[in-house]
Amino acid sequence: MTALLEMRGISKAYGSVQANAGIDLTVTAGSIIGLLGENGSGKSTLMKILFGMVRPDQGAIIFKDAELAPGSPRESLRAGIGMIHQHFTLVNAMTVADNVMLALGDAGFWLDRNGVAERITQLSRSYGLGIDPDTVVENLPLGARQRVEIVKALMRGADLLVLDEPTSILSPPEIEGLIGVMRKLKADGRAIIFITHKLGEVLSVCDEVVVLRDGKVSGRTPVAGATRQGLAHMMVGRTLAEPPQRASRAPGPERLVARNLSARDSAGLARLQDASFSLRGGEVLALAGIDGNGQQELCDTLAGLFPALAGTILLDGTDVTGWSSKARLTAGLAYIPADRSDTSLVQSMSVADNLALRDVAEEPFSRFGWLDAAGARTLVEQRTRQFGVRMAGSDAAIGTLSGGNQQKVVLAREIGREPGVLIAFQPTWGLDPGATRFVVDTILALRDRGGAVLYISSELDEVLSVGDRIGVICEGRIAGITDRADVDIVRLGLLMAGAHSQAAAA
Amino acid sequence: MTVAAIMPRSPWRGGLAWRVIQSVVWSLVITGILILMAGKNPLVAYQHIVLGAFGSWDRVIVGLNKAAPYMLAGVGVALCFRGNVANMGSEGQIAMGGLAASIVALIGAGALGGLVLPAAIVAGILGGAAWAAIAAAINLWRGVHEVLVTLMMNFIAWLIVAEFLHGPLGEMDAGFPQTPMFDNAAWLPKLVARTDLHIGIVLAVLAAIAAHGVLWHTVIGFRWRLAGASDRASHYAGVSRARSVLGLMITSGVLSGIAGSIEVLGVHYRLIEGFSLGFGFNAIAIALLATLKPLWVIPAALFFAFLETGALSMQRQIGIPSSLVLVIQGLSLIFVLCAVGRGGRKV
Repeated sequence: MTALLEMRGISKAYGSVQANAGIDLTVTAGSIIGLLGENGSGKSTLMKILFGMVRPDQGAIIFKDAELAPGSPRESLRAGIGMIHQHFTLVNAMTVADNVMLALGDAGFWLDRNGVAERITQLSRSYGLGIDPDTVVENLPLGARQRVEIVKALMRGADLLVLDEPTSILSPPEIEGLIGVMRKLKADGRAIIFITHKLGEVLSVCDEVVVLRDGKVSGRTPVAGATRQGLAHMMVGRTLAEPPQRASRAPGPERLVARNLSARDSAGLARLQDASFSLRGGEVLALAGIDGNGQQELCDTLAGLFPALAGTILLDGTDVTGWSSKARLTAGLAYIPADRSDTSLVQSMSVADNLALRDVAEEPFSRFGWLDAAGARTLVEQRTRQFGVRMAGSDAAIGTLSGGNQQKVVLAREIGREPGVLIAFQPTWGLDPGATRFVVDTILALRDRGGAVLYISSELDEVLSVGDRIGVICEGRIAGITDRADVDIVRLGLLMAGAHSQAAAA
Repeated sequence: MTVAAIMPRSPWRGGLAWRVIQSVVWSLVITGILILMAGKNPLVAYQHIVLGAFGSWDRVIVGLNKAAPYMLAGVGVALCFRGNVANMGSEGQIAMGGLAASIVALIGAGALGGLVLPAAIVAGILGGAAWAAIAAAINLWRGVHEVLVTLMMNFIAWLIVAEFLHGPLGEMDAGFPQTPMFDNAAWLPKLVARTDLHIGIVLAVLAAIAAHGVLWHTVIGFRWRLAGASDRASHYAGVSRARSVLGLMITSGVLSGIAGSIEVLGVHYRLIEGFSLGFGFNAIAIALLATLKPLWVIPAALFFAFLETGALSMQRQIGIPSSLVLVIQGLSLIFVLCAVGRGGRKV
């Protein structure tokens, strides 16, 4: 069979980061290619280049035997490439037919609602999509909305569909349904690039797997004969560095314990499922995991910002499950959220105000309800000096500081209080190597002073270099916690790719 | 969109105060062109506005009395908008405050002796605060958007006032929906003896100064500013949205309630249908003109008030309709919003 799509030697650099380095990808008509890779391995960049949203530095895209003009989404659409994003591009208040008409765009002056509805019904019947053109989108479950996106792409004449982590928001029966639809599309001669983190899905539906790592193809293999272990190794495979040497210390007392935590998001989807762990003083428990597997909910639930549906949280032996975030903070639980731009810092406020953010009602920031700028100044100066914050002055808006200095302000606030327990969620996200080093060292210094640290990151290397014990969070479950010395990298990869749930389901 | 996002940077040059003054000047220039097109001399028109506003002590006093309720309500709105609470309900809070003060002034006359005036003001405060608290509660616990609740409750408040005036409180044979005149003891004291200038303007300036102090120098004000800047950061900092919304709305209700009270107790000495018509909406415009700074509400409210008294006089003198003032007010507001407005940046 001839190639429908050929991407040849695609390269793209963002500054000093080589997002794609000479990637070749071939897709034949009537096949499903699984595209695997950790966060930051270059999948999104490659797909953005394919769809014309990003112009590659080098390389060519040949689609249906013709070279595709780079950097033109319109061109890619017209050629027949359809992309189903993780986040839907639907107008919720409109019907399915209206949404499809919006996507068709150049439909002339008069709307042909009946004609469009007719074609939607036909497509829905032939692929088993179960879509009624007259339903209002907001009344549809997420799985059906995704099928509306597929209908949109098909109506535009897409011969190649890119599905970007389509199963991450679906319940198991909906995933089954989607896989059925994918098989029918394939039987009809269309090709699919299926981006996912879940090895089980890859093995059940794909013909070939391409694995990216650090912007390069680290492996490609036909699915027939591939094993989970092999795929996991291609995904995370690396020579494991020696565990960092540190003076052996007796494990401290148990500081933070989570037992069978469960939580749901506002859409009712389970985000945490029976998550349990125990954390002692003087150690870092580092959790690896693909983004969006319940990390945010775990941190927020522990910090008291998100309600737990079930389960218990013990802080120094006290049940704090029902406590407010403020009470937990006072009891010694500090929290560095992942989002610096709008959660842990307020960009329009000054450095001093941001240092006071969570403690404004306490001395020295205020006395008897009145802000005490003079009293706070000593502390602000001491903390910013101690954590090496470079700024024009403590009155400068935090938004004028570099990312690294912003994060130092967060550290100054959260670690400066000498907490018994620290939750650090992606604390080095978006920082340059120097600032990353500083953040990690500061957190490890807290650990050496006897603090307990829960460190969560989607950067596997960071997890491996920071953690005294390593675990994985996947689909809201915590699994495979082991000592750093006993880490089995392939097993870690399997757990990150959902081996836990698939083992449970099998 | 956050309400405070109405007020960030813009490509206009110069300090904020300078930009506001420029905006006002531009609105006067454009209105001048409109007057010219209507065949009148704009300089003469403006001269009569100034004379009407400041031509005599009596005129100044009328303007100051008018500015007082604008200032009080404007400060409340400015605080709410700062805290990202889009409170459109000052209008209704003023009406309910005036109604409550009037009821106490009428019923308590004699029985309360000299205490009838403070009792009436307290009633006005409670009336305005309660009306705001109901709106806040509906917003917080029934999830109805605050703009919708507060706006709709204005109409209810007007109708309740009308109902009282056409029913139990109405003056017999007056031919107009109003209450009988209050007892002397319930009249707001004069600031200057033998003039109409009541103490309202002093209360209003003090309120603006106090609001400034609370906003910038107290823990509560810090939390309000935080609530206005970021929902997520507030949540992370343990600031409850319910508490800041309730606090801000009740503060606005208290200030609007005082505004309604001084209007009935200090100007009309009775409750009249429509006594506060448009006050609350003007307060919103004034708060925006003041770029949500409580202290700047003082000049903004004076500007609106003197413009209105001046225009009425201009209409009497040279026949240019006083509704021209609406054009000036509207244009200066649009210019201010453009001058300090988005420019593509977050707060």
